Amino acid sequence: MSAADLARLQFAATTGIHWLFVILTMGLVPLVAITHTRAVFTRDPVRRALRERTTRFWGQLYVINYAVGIVTGLVMEFQFGLSWSGLSKFAGNVFGAPLALETLIAFFAESTFLGMWIFGWGRLRGGVHVTLIWLVTLTAYASGYWILIANGFMQHPVGHEVRDGAAYLTDFGALLTNSSALVALLHLTLGALTTGGVFVAGVSAYHFLRRTKETELFRTSLKLGLWVSTVASFFVVVVGEMQRPVIERTQPMKHAVLEDSGVAEVQARLVEEHGPGDFVPWQDTVRISMDVMTIIGNTVSTITFIALILLWKDRLTRWRWASWTLVAMVPFPFVASVGGWVVREVGRQPWLVYGELTVEDALSPVGRTSLLVSCALFVAVFLALAVTNWTLITRFALRGPGATQLGATEPLPDDVPEGPAGSADEKQPLPVL
Amino acid sequence: MTLETLWLALLGLLLAGYFVLGGYDYGAQMLHPFLGRRDGHEEKPTSGNAALDAIAPFFLGNEVWLVAFTGVLFGAFPHLEGTLLSGLYPLIVAILTGLVLGNAAIQLRGRARGAAGRRGWNALIVFGGALPAVCWGLVLGLLLHGVPRRADGSFHIGPGDVLTPFVLGCGVTTALLFAAHGAAFVALRSGPQVAARARQSGALLLRAAGAVACLPLLLTLFGAGASMHNRVISAVLAALFAAALGGAWWALARGHHVRAFAATSCAAVLPVLLVGAGHYPYVLTDASGGGMTMGQAVTDGATLRILTWFGVVLVPVILAYQAWSWWAFRGRTGRRHPSYF
Repeated sequence: MSAADLARLQFAATTGIHWLFVILTMGLVPLVAITHTRAVFTRDPVRRALRERTTRFWGQLYVINYAVGIVTGLVMEFQFGLSWSGLSKFAGNVFGAPLALETLIAFFAESTFLGMWIFGWGRLRGGVHVTLIWLVTLTAYASGYWILIANGFMQHPVGHEVRDGAAYLTDFGALLTNSSALVALLHLTLGALTTGGVFVAGVSAYHFLRRTKETELFRTSLKLGLWVSTVASFFVVVVGEMQRPVIERTQPMKHAVLEDSGVAEVQARLVEEHGPGDFVPWQDTVRISMDVMTIIGNTVSTITFIALILLWKDRLTRWRWASWTLVAMVPFPFVASVGGWVVREVGRQPWLVYGELTVEDALSPVGRTSLLVSCALFVAVFLALAVTNWTLITRFALRGPGATQLGATEPLPDDVPEGPAGSADEKQPLPVL
Repeated sequence: MTLETLWLALLGLLLAGYFVLGGYDYGAQMLHPFLGRRDGHEEKPTSGNAALDAIAPFFLGNEVWLVAFTGVLFGAFPHLEGTLLSGLYPLIVAILTGLVLGNAAIQLRGRARGAAGRRGWNALIVFGGALPAVCWGLVLGLLLHGVPRRADGSFHIGPGDVLTPFVLGCGVTTALLFAAHGAAFVALRSGPQVAARARQSGALLLRAAGAVACLPLLLTLFGAGASMHNRVISAVLAALFAAALGGAWWALARGHHVRAFAATSCAAVLPVLLVGAGHYPYVLTDASGGGMTMGQAVTDGATLRILTWFGVVLVPVILAYQAWSWWAFRGRTGRRHPSYF
């Protein structure tokens, strides 16, 4: 493998794995925020405790996933400078600004507020505490916006002019309203909500299959998950199709590949414009990914809609095959989202900034050995983290709300009445997991 | 003050904030096997480790200072970003590996099943504190000494550049300083017994840091160490660094936790100031005295003006909510603090 291939593999593998955590984070956090809000606004202490437990259960799974998401995100922030210094040389004046604003507006706030939310149980007032999780939600999506503005510039560079081999920002407004970014953001938001909704519905269905005693908790969760995923998966398909005209207008080659017609003509035209070179991305990969995404999108949309109807008279939870179907559906939105990522990113090859800078030209002057070591290291660490993440999520999801550690405030020694058997401390052991 | 200088100052603030906040995280991570265990009759352990409890509520908010530093580096000084990160490639990869493993370990350690799993995470927590601490020291050393820049402005470090007495001395000093800084923070936040242990190790580590720091200082005096552009300012900052180390040791030995932490925080900030102010207006120097100036590194004026509009609003807001999070979780750990990590 050449240095460029290694750098490519490193970027693709780390971004692709990071993306799998991101989509669940973005999909779960609004649902956690909704259940938390419900809990805070409930007067009746019994119902309130139940809703709080619901929040902590889903919050626990969300926080496990966030932990891995944020550490892989840390690496992403450095990737451009590490392997693609040509990008900062050519487009640093334009491309750097959205990344800087992403960290200052979104990443910074999201992480600080989430830290406060995790440790705020029993310490912050209910209103403040629930505001924090909404701020986390808001900043998570703000983060998505700025990242897509940066990515949108690579897909369809706008709002700039090139002078002496470097790009200069001329129209900040155009950069912020890049159609290639905004439609994708909507598509991605709906995809994330589908993923989160299907995840919540699937885990809830599993607990009904195991005849859980927490029927109230999981019935509400099942309903919420299904409503969110049904609505989101319907529109995710619609908005996905809305990207077609944008692609046709901005990336003729990707469009030709997806349509499987006119690839040779576009190649000839691009050679005329940019000189000799291979401007065709991996056709089969892009097309298969597109098909996988479309099929999963339509299937999930259909199944969640039927499941929503089956909620009536509890048929969904009484018919075991129906519940199993929901459980089996959990991984598919992740597969679809990777498919979407491949269409967007592999489909724009060989360009780093479409029509202006190729990936090869942007490569840092880094030795092949360094790249080989770092690529192996990052891929190994990221894969290990992915396995750890899903093992832990599965374990905590299957154990149910009883095993939740998040916000489990221990009774303090003076809160617990002294019993005859030893000190109060020993009576409240931590749940050993 | 020009906009460029303002953004360089903000970049310095973010890196300095990261060295102070991330620095005590790494220190607490390195020391947590010794400092963290609690004696039988102390209050009920929450996460089972006092050192990790001390940093827990701030941990997620601390690491993002580094992310913000990188973001601003890319936004405001893109030409420095590309050169610096690709030039320091092996060190940055090592730092990132340490950060990824250490951060994941801290957040997932509590989810482990059984003692063996927890021991594995504990080892990663120590590793994830020590590796970035040493490597940041090496980066500082390289920047102070000057990097091997080529004619086209790019550079690439090899083992020969890193394995010099001066750079290694900077690496070890920084690691010891961060460890002492972490000890001072744990002393500040923990119950009396843990605090006493933290004080002792902190004082010891500060003596060690002071001793090792003499090596890079002597090398510089004999012309084989740092090559600073502004000699007077550099000398003043180096003297302040020595004073901060001494003051921290004095305060820690006498049990003044707040003063000790303030002093170790100053000691963590001063190396960043030294790189920034000592080389100003250069942001990257080579050993022969030339280098990349702020003007060559900075983004286009139009972009910088837009960024400034955002910065004027955002920076005070960031400082405000960070300060709020420190205030909300003030006080010693234990009792009324929920634990999770």
